[in-house]
Amino acid sequence: MSNEILLFCIVFVPVLGSFVLPVIGTFSEKARNLLALLLVAVSLIFSVKLLPIIISGQSITINYPLLMSIDFVLHADMLAIFMAIASSLVGAIIVLYSFGYISHYENRNEYYFMVVLFLGSMMGLIFSGNLIFLFLFWEITSIASWRLIGFFREKAFVLRADKAFLITVFGALIMLIGFVMLYTQTGSFNLLDIKNNLQNNPVSNIVVMLILFGILSKSATLPFHTWLPDAGVAPSPVTALLHAAVLVKIGVYVFARLFISTMTLDVVWHTVVPVIAGASMLVSGAAALKETDLKRIIAYSTISQIGFIFLGLATGNEIGIAGGLLYILMHGLAKGGLFLCAGIVEQNTHTKDITKMGGLGKVMPITLLAFLFCSFSVMGIPPFGGFFSKYLVITGAINNGQMAIAFTFLAGAVLTVLYLLRVISIVFFGELKMSSIKEGSATMLFSVAFLGILSLLGGIFIKYPADVVVSTVQQMMGIIK
Amino acid sequence: MINILILLPFIAGLFILAMPKKARGITGFVVLLVTLINLFITIKLFRTTAMVSFPWAGFGIDFALRLDHFSSFIILAVAGFGFLISLYAVTSMKGTEIYNQFFAYLLVSLTLANGAVLADNLVVMLFFWEGLLVTLFAMITIGNKQAYKTAVKAVVLVGISDLCMMVGIGLTAHLAGTLSMSGIKLGLQSSGGVAYILLMIGAISKAGSMPFHSWIPDAAVDANLPFMAILPAALEKLLGIYFLARISLEMFSLTPDSWISTLLMIVGGITILFAVMMALIQKDYKRLLSYHAISQVGYMVLGIGTAVPAGIIGGLFHMINHAMYKSTLFLTGGSVERQAGTTDLRKLGGLGAKMPITFACFIVAAAAISGVPPFNGFFSKELVYDGALERGWIFYAMAVAGSFFTAASFLKLGHSAYLGKINDGHKNVKEAPITMLIPMIIIASLCILFGLYNSLPLHNLIQPILGEHRLEGHHFSGFPENMMLVIVTVVVLIAAYLNHIFGVKKSGSGLGAVDHIHHAPVLSGIYDKAEKRFFDPYNIGLGIVNIFVVILFKIDRIIDWIVDNFTVKVTYVFTNTIRKIHTGDAALYLSWSLGGMILIVLYIIVR
Repeated sequence: MSNEILLFCIVFVPVLGSFVLPVIGTFSEKARNLLALLLVAVSLIFSVKLLPIIISGQSITINYPLLMSIDFVLHADMLAIFMAIASSLVGAIIVLYSFGYISHYENRNEYYFMVVLFLGSMMGLIFSGNLIFLFLFWEITSIASWRLIGFFREKAFVLRADKAFLITVFGALIMLIGFVMLYTQTGSFNLLDIKNNLQNNPVSNIVVMLILFGILSKSATLPFHTWLPDAGVAPSPVTALLHAAVLVKIGVYVFARLFISTMTLDVVWHTVVPVIAGASMLVSGAAALKETDLKRIIAYSTISQIGFIFLGLATGNEIGIAGGLLYILMHGLAKGGLFLCAGIVEQNTHTKDITKMGGLGKVMPITLLAFLFCSFSVMGIPPFGGFFSKYLVITGAINNGQMAIAFTFLAGAVLTVLYLLRVISIVFFGELKMSSIKEGSATMLFSVAFLGILSLLGGIFIKYPADVVVSTVQQMMGIIK
Repeated sequence: MINILILLPFIAGLFILAMPKKARGITGFVVLLVTLINLFITIKLFRTTAMVSFPWAGFGIDFALRLDHFSSFIILAVAGFGFLISLYAVTSMKGTEIYNQFFAYLLVSLTLANGAVLADNLVVMLFFWEGLLVTLFAMITIGNKQAYKTAVKAVVLVGISDLCMMVGIGLTAHLAGTLSMSGIKLGLQSSGGVAYILLMIGAISKAGSMPFHSWIPDAAVDANLPFMAILPAALEKLLGIYFLARISLEMFSLTPDSWISTLLMIVGGITILFAVMMALIQKDYKRLLSYHAISQVGYMVLGIGTAVPAGIIGGLFHMINHAMYKSTLFLTGGSVERQAGTTDLRKLGGLGAKMPITFACFIVAAAAISGVPPFNGFFSKELVYDGALERGWIFYAMAVAGSFFTAASFLKLGHSAYLGKINDGHKNVKEAPITMLIPMIIIASLCILFGLYNSLPLHNLIQPILGEHRLEGHHFSGFPENMMLVIVTVVVLIAAYLNHIFGVKKSGSGLGAVDHIHHAPVLSGIYDKAEKRFFDPYNIGLGIVNIFVVILFKIDRIIDWIVDNFTVKVTYVFTNTIRKIHTGDAALYLSWSLGGMILIVLYIIVR
């Protein structure tokens, strides 16, 4: 198969395939489950297959001119491939985990339909080389996540889903205004044309501000962050998908795509964005330390870690950006694992209130271990992968001479250690407060253990992800090897 | 060869962890074999130099290892303790549920310690160094039921300082332009000073200095004893002081005229005094020892902080001496715990006759820690005194006062555990098994050897670390040159003895030997508060964090309220207002349209 077809398949096999899932589901549950996994795996496998080609310096572009300057462009470069692998890897594991989790609930056809559509449109967003299509896929993810958050259909849950939808769509619409203004400045929606037309001149600050609205609301950053903990009412694999691995990374990805790869920012943003990120990180870190709902805690933790990613990307220097990208991968793996562990705990104890839990480590040893591994990675403790990303991000800030920001993020890292250890000790240690608690099902345990072990291997064999990230950054910053 | 030191214990550790319960018989054999191989390799590598490097994480983070005199000495010591304490633990931990887990974590800790010492690249160093948090957490958690709380405390305290170190390493790399320790030469001005302090926080916290110490006494009670003997007593001290010396002597040049040197000495002095005061009043064998494990770090930090040759040599010599006598002391505590079933001093007594070898080892180690000539602790302390006096009498006074209380508390400990009346339940107590005695005897003999022939360690191990040019022609072996210091030391020791006699007479028991200090007018109030953890930096820190957290969480809730309620209200008010305009009156709508048209026309004209 030619590379263009591979690229096309990465996006459209899951997007179109998702519509077939409910039909198959009416005949066979098993076939539907396997097909769902297969559709996501196609994205993963084809992305991995494209990696060596892209890493050698080529890039792949599909370009069909449609009306006006709205061309249908798919463009695969290092950044896109890296992001696609990171998202579809965690996505595939989450789908696998869903086999065990969602089998207890109704409306399974809708579930797999929405999850695969979500992941497919994520791929579309990643590879889009045109702002209008980027926006289009962006909104499809919003619609899918709206349906998934309200999956359990209770009135309160649907309201939460509405909240998430309204905030992210509000942000996206403001971002769209930014896109249009960008069009008036550069005469194109195509990212490559925009880049050529701008010629390294900083883009106007008002455009950056408008686009940031969309990015911050999607990536749940202060002050648009509160929809994320509220979205914890969704099924756990969905929260893993939304909060940890994929949805919240859309914002940071678009940040990297637009403000690093395509345009140059005014220097003031190298300070403004870290300050917003820092405030967001501290507030959410504090909230994570105070909340008593397991999934809300982990959601707040995601918000605080997103702060680190923004910091890394906003530093504008090589180390910081590499740290931010590595953070996307490591955090996706580890945080996905944490949410899936929370799902096991929630399903077996029938509560999300950590004050009612205790001593679960004795009855759920594998969940405990996976939770510990993933927590250590999020805390940035070696030999887990999160260590390197945290180090690189903070070094990025230091290299900009921003010591105050570096120390703020040090405080944030301390909060991370505190709130995760609090959760671990309350939930898994101490006296067992419940009786007849079982471990999760085999596929669920396999999924969490796999993510935990990946977090560990990602640290020990840091060479491989680091190599990819280094060449990604070099390509983004236009440094020729 | 170097790679084996890192790979072998790690792989063996994983192997033991994965081993099925039935195969437990060979665990001990595997552990001893691996630690012995580790020891042999380090002996073979001793005094050789090597440099290994291969690409790793990019951005200057190469997997670079360096073997020089200093690192070869430290890994040798690590391997020695690793083997001897494993030998001890194979017996002392036998039959426990967590047997395999314990040894697996121990072996992984060895890997991490070897890696941290050998690393030349700062990030690689931090990778191994901070990785010890994981084994620390694991090894404490497998203790008693409440141990997880202590494990959390330990990871928080050490983790915070490791994160400081992470920032410090980032800053150092930024300033020096390299991550390679052997290539860094920085001053202590402005940013350099900040970088040094951040790295120093990591180093002294690993060693267990104040204010990052308070998990150690808790761990003494909650964790397994061999853990205390290997990590807080030996390995962590070696690592912490090793890195402190590396940054002070090589990467930054710490000079006596810099304020940072004074800061280090203050930290050292305070650590010596406050921790020993706490040790004095403890009524538990292990808890008492653990406070001394903190207090003794003070001497090392003080010694290196003096930044004069005598002090630095003394601090480093004290590091290795302390690791020896403190692990011996913990091991005697373990023997007592195993044979008598308790370490509560109120229940112990008269064990000296029942456990003569343990008692003998205790005496040697206790004399060494108290600085009694001719044991090793005496010589290293004299060197620290020498350095401290050169920098200021107040630091010397703190160090000497620390010695007085050290001696007093060990007289109390020895008296109440080994002498006096035997507890009725302990009439049939026997000496510990031979495999537990051998490690104690070996390390205790080394305490004597390093004292009597102090030129052996000083010439071969310690002095080359500084290098000839920095020694300025001094030689520090043999009997201390400054007789004044020796006389003061002897007087202090005699005073401690008299104090003991006085206390015993007054209270009527060995355990109560220091009660007159404990219940002295001002002190007793402070002691009460300290016992209630009033001064625990962990609790104080969490209290401060909590204030911020409450405020920040309030901000979060306010934002949530704005999003959930305020915007909704605003929208309702807005739409209601708009709705009121829509009365259905055609004339009104027409006037609206007309008004709008006029505005548009005006706009076009004016533009």
